[in-house]
Amino acid sequence: MKKKLLSVLLAGCMVLSLAGCGSGSGDSGSATQDSGQTQTTDTAQNSSGGGTTDAGDASADPTNGEIVDGKFVDTRKITVEVYDRGNDGGSDPTNNKYTQYIKDQMMELHNVEVEFVAVPRWTEVEQINNLLAAGDAPDICLTYDYPTVQTYANMGGVLDLSSYVDDYKDMLPNMWNWLGETNIYWDKDPVNGTLWAIEGKLAVSNRINTFVRKDWLDKLGLEEPTTRQEFEDMLIAFRDNADTLLGADADKMIPYSVSFDVGWRAALLIESFIDPDVSDYEYYVNGFDDRKLTQNGTKEAIRLLNKWYNEGLLWDDFALYGSGDTTEDDMMKAGYVGAFMHNWDYPYRNGEDSIQTNLERLVGPDAKYVVVDCFEDSKGGHNKFVSGTAGDRKIFFPSTNTEPLASMMYLDFISTPEVIEYLQIGDEGVTHNKLDDGSVEIIAATGDAIQNSGFNIDYTITCNGLHLTDEEMTLKSTAHSYSGIDPALVETAHKVCNTDIRPAKNVNVGAIDSEEGQGPTLSSKRDVIYDTAVSAPVESFDQVWDDGIADYLSSGGQAIMDERAEKWKATFGDTTALPE
Amino acid sequence: MKGTKKKAPAVQKKQSFGVYMKRYWQLYALLALPLLYLLIFKYVPMIYIQIAFKKYSIVQSVWEMPLAANHGFEYFIKAFKNRDFINALRNTLTLNLLDLVIGFPAPIIFALILNELVFKKFKRVVQTIAYMPHFLSWVIIYGLALQIFAPTTGFLNMILTGLGFESIPFLNDSAHWVGTYIFLGVWQSFGWNSIVYLAAIAGINSELYEAASVDGAGRFKKMWHITLPGIKPTIVVLLVMNLGNILGSGFDRPFALQNNLVMDVAEVLSTFVYKNGIKGLQFSLTTAVGFFQSIVCVIFLLLANWISRKLGERGIW
Repeated sequence: MKKKLLSVLLAGCMVLSLAGCGSGSGDSGSATQDSGQTQTTDTAQNSSGGGTTDAGDASADPTNGEIVDGKFVDTRKITVEVYDRGNDGGSDPTNNKYTQYIKDQMMELHNVEVEFVAVPRWTEVEQINNLLAAGDAPDICLTYDYPTVQTYANMGGVLDLSSYVDDYKDMLPNMWNWLGETNIYWDKDPVNGTLWAIEGKLAVSNRINTFVRKDWLDKLGLEEPTTRQEFEDMLIAFRDNADTLLGADADKMIPYSVSFDVGWRAALLIESFIDPDVSDYEYYVNGFDDRKLTQNGTKEAIRLLNKWYNEGLLWDDFALYGSGDTTEDDMMKAGYVGAFMHNWDYPYRNGEDSIQTNLERLVGPDAKYVVVDCFEDSKGGHNKFVSGTAGDRKIFFPSTNTEPLASMMYLDFISTPEVIEYLQIGDEGVTHNKLDDGSVEIIAATGDAIQNSGFNIDYTITCNGLHLTDEEMTLKSTAHSYSGIDPALVETAHKVCNTDIRPAKNVNVGAIDSEEGQGPTLSSKRDVIYDTAVSAPVESFDQVWDDGIADYLSSGGQAIMDERAEKWKATFGDTTALPE
Repeated sequence: MKGTKKKAPAVQKKQSFGVYMKRYWQLYALLALPLLYLLIFKYVPMIYIQIAFKKYSIVQSVWEMPLAANHGFEYFIKAFKNRDFINALRNTLTLNLLDLVIGFPAPIIFALILNELVFKKFKRVVQTIAYMPHFLSWVIIYGLALQIFAPTTGFLNMILTGLGFESIPFLNDSAHWVGTYIFLGVWQSFGWNSIVYLAAIAGINSELYEAASVDGAGRFKKMWHITLPGIKPTIVVLLVMNLGNILGSGFDRPFALQNNLVMDVAEVLSTFVYKNGIKGLQFSLTTAVGFFQSIVCVIFLLLANWISRKLGERGIW
């Protein structure tokens, strides 16, 4: 009897605890859904109000008296995502001099309390996924990855911003001035008008450069290469003269270094094989992969890399080191690497720890990497694809955001030119010095004034790259912002990566459903194809490449291309060029 | 009254749970916390297995999510149509079988050898050295492996090329990689796994050995006829448990060791789930894969247990 009673009791407990959990999550689930629904209906009313006769009333005070003179009557509270880069000796990204400035200003100007939420920069997509799934995402989220936003939007996890940006346009002058229609409407769905994210602006579209060891060229009496053939000849010369250049370390010579991310670390070479007259249509249809895997011409570029690999011109072990590994950088610093491609200012970054500074220290004062421009396309020019002003960081509000208006006002505040300037260069004498020509030189700050990201770009979420109120000074200051580096090197780098560029055009044909969730899978497939093809024996290159591409296409790549082609036709008809 | 009752346990044939509870409630109370842990962290999350049969939505609770197509089995069908999944399944089976064939006997042999050592101090030192690698994380082991096995900068290959041999692609060729993977796995775990066998060997009655010596048995005869039968139950239990994990796989070992050049043999179910589910947001698909994996594991476990009992061994329950 007792046994029965006890087992019934135990079973009861279990059922209760299960039910407790179940209904608990059920409640929270439906609660968020409810709030999502009220919000959508709210905005629907607002936008319909704006469209009908009492448009005047709506624009006069779309907030129903919640805001007086740009300030909320009641204090509002929002949370904002900030990247945590975990730098050595950095400050707490959620609590330092700059966050305090933002908090004080927002409170003073708009009566909005701001709290920052740190998200690790290098795992941002995973982390934001977790936060979104748990319903804990910050009110203002930031990501480089639009498919993530789209995926969550499809699940109802993201707020539609279209009515906010339009209805409150008068209250958001700084945001509209800085981002403009291009960036604000960049992701607007052409069919149903939804807007899941606003594109932050790239102040500088500098992308990628080719760096070679100038002192090696001088030693061998060679000129800086200006064509692909000259580049190859240079690599061969490096390889054959390893004894002269490296002495006892000759066996460590790496004429040209790429990492596992071949598509990025040979991007200029790959792009030079793409037809410079490629139509907008063709480029778009083949353009899901941001490393140009399926563009016409890429195969021949990789064939050349494969030849170089088998001739001993590339780093043999390139595929074994994963992202974030410093082995390759260390070899550059130690002076074993003859040439490489990377971010336009890569060897000059990081002050005392930059590749260039280390190289001078370890090898000698003459040792330096200079930028060359040597990958000509089939017409003899260059074919450098760069992003436009958009296509960088995307800002979105999760559906758990109950203060969309206050969040919008934050975006407006953070887009104010003076705010951007202050956050980027800080106080004179602490984070920068004024030079004679009026430009600004960044100095390494200490303590609380340290900028965890270059120019604090992690706080200026609508602006990536240095942007001062004075345009001309911005350029001059950029060259002075690399401590310990000859400004002339930086100026050349800046100039070369802005020569013969092709800014990306916005092809907005609505969401491509087949792309959903495919990004990471296809990207890792892409890396596998690039890596195995580059390191294959020459005679089996075709086989490896074709098998890899076939697998890529049948794993979703083809479906994406087909849908892109179909939606292009539906939006633009038979034309293969984007309307101006 | 109570005292007298306690003094006569022999009359009671079988105590009811309540009586035990009353008498040993302190012990049961100690058990409550672990049980609660199991309930909260192992059983409650099982509610979310449903995701495998439903169309995942971030804003709905798991009960509200709509059933997936094909009576909820859409994602299972999708998984089995996905070549990457089939590939990962094949790799998981291959690597785990190799691990079992090579990795399972290794600690037994090691324990047998170690048991024959007479010099106790040496034995203890060897044993300690052998189980040390168990405490290294796989990320560190991969770092070590790179230093030793990398094609140009690896220590071993530098010696080989220095002697005029070809460098061996331990990490960057599929077949070699499998060998390296298994070798590193055995190296990392054989010392640790041998501890349980050594404990079992220590429990064997030493009179048996003496008797065998009197009968003229040598070392190998004793090993074969006394030590091995003595630890057979332990071996069987561990074998059953290992078989139960034939489709499971740790995440960190394959994830840390794999690289792009060998992905055709290195992608296993756990890394597939990570890449597609957590990074690719395909939660339903990967829950289906994980569910499938668990079911196969349970079937293997039950099967192995049943066979071992048929063969006259105790099994694990």
